[in-house]
Amino acid sequence: MTEQDKVKKCAELVEKSKKVVRDAFNKFTPDELAITWTGGKDSTTTLWIIRQVCQEDKIKLPKVMTIDEGDSFPEIHDFINKWSKEWNLDLEWCVNQDAIDAAGGKLNALVKVKDLNERNQAEIKRIGYEEDTFRFEAESYVGNHLMKTVMFNLYIERHNVKAVFQGLRRDEQATRTQDDYFEKKEAAHLIPEHVRIKPILHFTERDIWNNIMINKIPYCILYERGYRSLGAASTSQIAVEGVPAWEQDLEHTVERAGRRQDKEQMMKRLRELGYM
Amino acid sequence: MKNVILLTIDALRKDVLGCYGSQGGLTPFIDSLQNNCLKFTRAQASGPYTQASFTGLLTSSYYLEYGKPKGLSPNRTLISEPLKRAGIITAAFHSNPYLCDYLGWNRGWDVFYDSMEEEVDERIPYIKGNVINSKVDEWLTSYRQGDNKPFFLWLHYMDIHEPYVPERKYIDMVDPSITISQNEMYNLFKDVLLKRDVSDEGAVKLLKKLYDIHVREVDGYIKEFFAILGKLDLLPNSVIIMTSDHGDEFGEHGGLSHDDKMYSELIDVPLLIYDLSQDEGGVCDALASNVDIPPTIIYLFGLDPVESFEGHSLLPLGGYPGNGCFGEAIDQRSQRGGDMEKDSYFYREQDLKVIYRANLDSWEMYDLKADPKELNNIIGTSPEAEELKIKLKPRVRRWLKDNLRGEQK
Repeated sequence: MTEQDKVKKCAELVEKSKKVVRDAFNKFTPDELAITWTGGKDSTTTLWIIRQVCQEDKIKLPKVMTIDEGDSFPEIHDFINKWSKEWNLDLEWCVNQDAIDAAGGKLNALVKVKDLNERNQAEIKRIGYEEDTFRFEAESYVGNHLMKTVMFNLYIERHNVKAVFQGLRRDEQATRTQDDYFEKKEAAHLIPEHVRIKPILHFTERDIWNNIMINKIPYCILYERGYRSLGAASTSQIAVEGVPAWEQDLEHTVERAGRRQDKEQMMKRLRELGYM
Repeated sequence: MKNVILLTIDALRKDVLGCYGSQGGLTPFIDSLQNNCLKFTRAQASGPYTQASFTGLLTSSYYLEYGKPKGLSPNRTLISEPLKRAGIITAAFHSNPYLCDYLGWNRGWDVFYDSMEEEVDERIPYIKGNVINSKVDEWLTSYRQGDNKPFFLWLHYMDIHEPYVPERKYIDMVDPSITISQNEMYNLFKDVLLKRDVSDEGAVKLLKKLYDIHVREVDGYIKEFFAILGKLDLLPNSVIIMTSDHGDEFGEHGGLSHDDKMYSELIDVPLLIYDLSQDEGGVCDALASNVDIPPTIIYLFGLDPVESFEGHSLLPLGGYPGNGCFGEAIDQRSQRGGDMEKDSYFYREQDLKVIYRANLDSWEMYDLKADPKELNNIIGTSPEAEELKIKLKPRVRRWLKDNLRGEQK
């Protein structure tokens, strides 16, 4: 693809995303919306596109949430803080401090359920976990629920959020081929009702990098060191040491090697079905 | 060329269907299709639970063929792979975690939906049949707007699988006298089913009743699915293969659910091939195994047989090689404790079945015609016992040596 073609294609992709964002602003007021931002390339691209629309249409940029699961890269922290200031974001860090304290701030620490506050204890009970202790890991069954799901739910409830922007891409997983730009999540056992909006669903990993380069969108320095996908610090791995993500063979290798979270999700379902 | 649809229902026992002799009235829709169905009366699952059976159903290979399985071995050929290579559109919609993309079941599909990213309630820990239908509807509708190349669609309903917490409207359709709450149903699952406790006959009966209610529910989803095909005018040019991966036990052999046993309540499955252009119905009493389903799909698409498939096409009818049916499994409940693995096997010819449990080194044999409940072990008295044992023996524990080579994941 020539440089010119790349620029043209990116402009089309971004235009398509902007249309989704504008649809969202037609359906919801800025106060009813929130943006989830992890500091990763996808959610940063999403945030950048929403900002563009807000500037062009003179709309207030919705508030932004970021979850600190107690196992995050300092580079990501720095990146988020820097650009949050630069872009003048209404940013909220969502941290389950009680769970971190109960673990003594240490990963893999054995946490006693009774050392948690009432809300966290109730949450653990709610997901059917019946042991007295658990290991403090951001991506384990209990850890994921306390550090991410609970924090997300609380934020939604606290701010009366009706819909959230997310940086999901269709090519990330085969299971997402059916996803829509707007997905209504009914209130269920574990989540409050809300709509998920996915403006960059049609981007591939390659498109993301092309767009970042062409539009000079900021990215976290870890990608330069060879990371392709950034999750929890202790479980994310460098894909190719020293080779920037955008120079790697993105088309023929897996973005989310290891995929610890997928395994946890599968194990959870199996438990609920009476296996394990 | 017709499209082929494989519709599988998790944990559906053969004996609850009206078309297989049940008087329970749980499957009015399936029963109403019989004029257009070829019905196999002796279909056998290749294993008593999802992973052991679906290797047969989707890869025409046996569960312990490539060592102790965790993920799907790259040595196996998923039915989607040769089809996709032949230019057929392949789509899968299901909600069974044992068949998710993490374990490698997503190979060869143009569309693969395994629901693993959805939040689900612990009492209904899967995507319900009506939601599977709506996703299939959406996909088929968009397919209809395309170039209409032939497709292979696999959809799978989980709704009959425990924890057996049916909705009120389905309870009322089957037995309005049942008044227990959803909490009580869920407790029954935790306190009786999970503990495999069959001591309270009333509790076991109640579990079976809740199971039956889910069967009635799924019959409705199948009706809804056929209505979608009708709406899109896809019924005349599609062949629909309907079956289940295994049954479920309610105390018949001292247990509940589906672990590693090889008796009929788990191994006998319904198998129906629906074709609107066949309006006489048909019955086939020959033994059929679910390893025969992938070769049948290949046949229906007019493709060359896939060499690695262990089964044979069930179509055209008759002229089968006359082999018996095999099945194998490892008891999953023994796996976590570091126990010795309890692997078990069966081999069936006509109405005779032998079962071998490796860890007990024990043999059983049943005459399914004289003793359909498999209560009278004739291994010591049957003149055919030795012959059947000789046929099953080479399969026993062969996975141990494969295991040293290691299966993926």
